[in-house]
Amino acid sequence: MLESAVVDGCCQWVAATPLGVRLRESANLFSIVETTHVLGIVGTAGLVTIIDLRLLGVLLPQSPAQDVLRSLVRIAWYGFALMLISGLLLFCAEAADLCRNRAFALKMVLLVALGLNQWIFQVTVYPGIVARDPSLSLRRRAQAAALLSLILWAGVVALGRAIAYV
Amino acid sequence: MFARKLIARSMLICGLALSPDAVAHHAFAAEFDGKKPIRLVGVVTKIQWTNPHTYFYLDVETGAGATTSWACEAGNPGALSRRGWNRDDVKIGDTLIVEGYLAKDGSRLVDIRRAILPGGRSVNGGTPGDGGPEDRGAEDGTAQH
Repeated sequence: MLESAVVDGCCQWVAATPLGVRLRESANLFSIVETTHVLGIVGTAGLVTIIDLRLLGVLLPQSPAQDVLRSLVRIAWYGFALMLISGLLLFCAEAADLCRNRAFALKMVLLVALGLNQWIFQVTVYPGIVARDPSLSLRRRAQAAALLSLILWAGVVALGRAIAYV
Repeated sequence: MFARKLIARSMLICGLALSPDAVAHHAFAAEFDGKKPIRLVGVVTKIQWTNPHTYFYLDVETGAGATTSWACEAGNPGALSRRGWNRDDVKIGDTLIVEGYLAKDGSRLVDIRRAILPGGRSVNGGTPGDGGPEDRGAEDGTAQH
């Protein structure tokens, strides 16, 4: 397929950049970036888990959802930035192999799904949820989004590990 | 409640996936068979000094002038360097002796547990803590003989 040949060519090119080569052949830098990536995931997925559990009513039922979300979302984005930057660096180092890795491809699909879930929640559910008396259907939608988010994040982490085993 | 069970399970999976043990790259047993030891003497044709694993490609004589090609996997550049196996120790055209284990899938891929470098030095080629044969954890992996 033409598309896959183009993707493959791009990946080979990324892997051959000085940055990719430097990281791939480094004595310590690669493992530092790997560790940073895990810390970024912990920061993001950990905080998102707390947010999702609040939306599901499992955690902090006494605290208004708005307060919980407002204080945690901002920090979760810092974790996400850490995860994204270190993830891009790891991709540069291993692009040649990753573009043929099924676990990696599926992980990217789940990340896009997470982004869509988050975006739809932010636009259609969040404004109503923080209002004084959200309707039952709105609360149900928030819970559905939270449950989906939990499952997708678990999938992202599991697939991230699976990259080394397929 | 069904939702609670599901959440608990998702969290368990998250926890397992993020446990310190899983953060290491793939372990010996994921790819290699500890019951199939092999020793190869071959000429180095290609070197990949890369993370997360290094690879040394050998042409091994099979008699009558014929050779077969083998891929030999070792630990990452940092782990090898800490045991005194540095990038310049093996060059293309050198003869390398490799003791290790065959891949489970039957391909000509070997996990290097010990290598005799061209200079005659014997070094352990595994990653500390990978769980493979003769893994001595964080200890210096230099072989005894």
